[in-house]
Amino acid sequence: MKQIKNFVKHTFKDVPKEKRQEIIPIVTESLEEKVEDLMEKGFSEQEAIDQTVLEFGTAEDYFGREKPFARFRRKTLKHYRNDFLFSLFGAIIIIGMLVFTNLYYTGDIIWFVLPAIAVLWWPLAVLYQFLNKKVSEKGEDDE
Amino acid sequence: MIHSDVIRGHLETIILKLILEKDRYGYEISKCIKERTNEQFVMKEASLYSIVQRLEKKNLISSYKGEKTHGGKRRYYKITPLGKAYFKEKLIEWQNLREILGMLLEESK
Repeated sequence: MKQIKNFVKHTFKDVPKEKRQEIIPIVTESLEEKVEDLMEKGFSEQEAIDQTVLEFGTAEDYFGREKPFARFRRKTLKHYRNDFLFSLFGAIIIIGMLVFTNLYYTGDIIWFVLPAIAVLWWPLAVLYQFLNKKVSEKGEDDE
Repeated sequence: MIHSDVIRGHLETIILKLILEKDRYGYEISKCIKERTNEQFVMKEASLYSIVQRLEKKNLISSYKGEKTHGGKRRYYKITPLGKAYFKEKLIEWQNLREILGMLLEESK
């Protein structure tokens, strides 16, 4: 029956904690009842568990249209912006160190540009994600 | 196979009706719906349990631990007086709806 417990936990993992604690024990109980029922009918335990899991459906089925957690745990625009700021400062520090090392030890050859370009890809990639998110968020609001 | 959108608004009533007949446990309700409709309508258990929990929260049904089976005790659901009244109301509502849809959708004689 551990499988059933894990399945239910996994199904509702994105639901806010308070609600989750309420839902999980009752659903687990009902599903275990079903497994027992099927076993009485002659299924093996594994078959019964498989069928129960298969027929249960998803968390979306459970909530129907109310979807109380649709926006829960989803990365918001703010998270993406923070990601970008983090990557930007990280890149500045690394490039700064490259410049310092370059000028201090081998001032006659300018080589820091190449690794600096490589490092720049980090904030650029994160910026790209941030902008994409901005566009899709706008699209959602229009709907 | 009927589309679940059409029936959604009546699921509570259906479940209340089944519990009104006799006390039942969760999976029994789902089994019952499947059998009675000759598998024309199979309810996702996820939505079934969510409705049952909602009904219990609204005090339309109550639950108790029933007879022992192999593994453990089953949780049975029982309709409350409030649930009975609610069901009666919903039944009248359905009869009205059926009449109105009949008037609108079927060929007039």
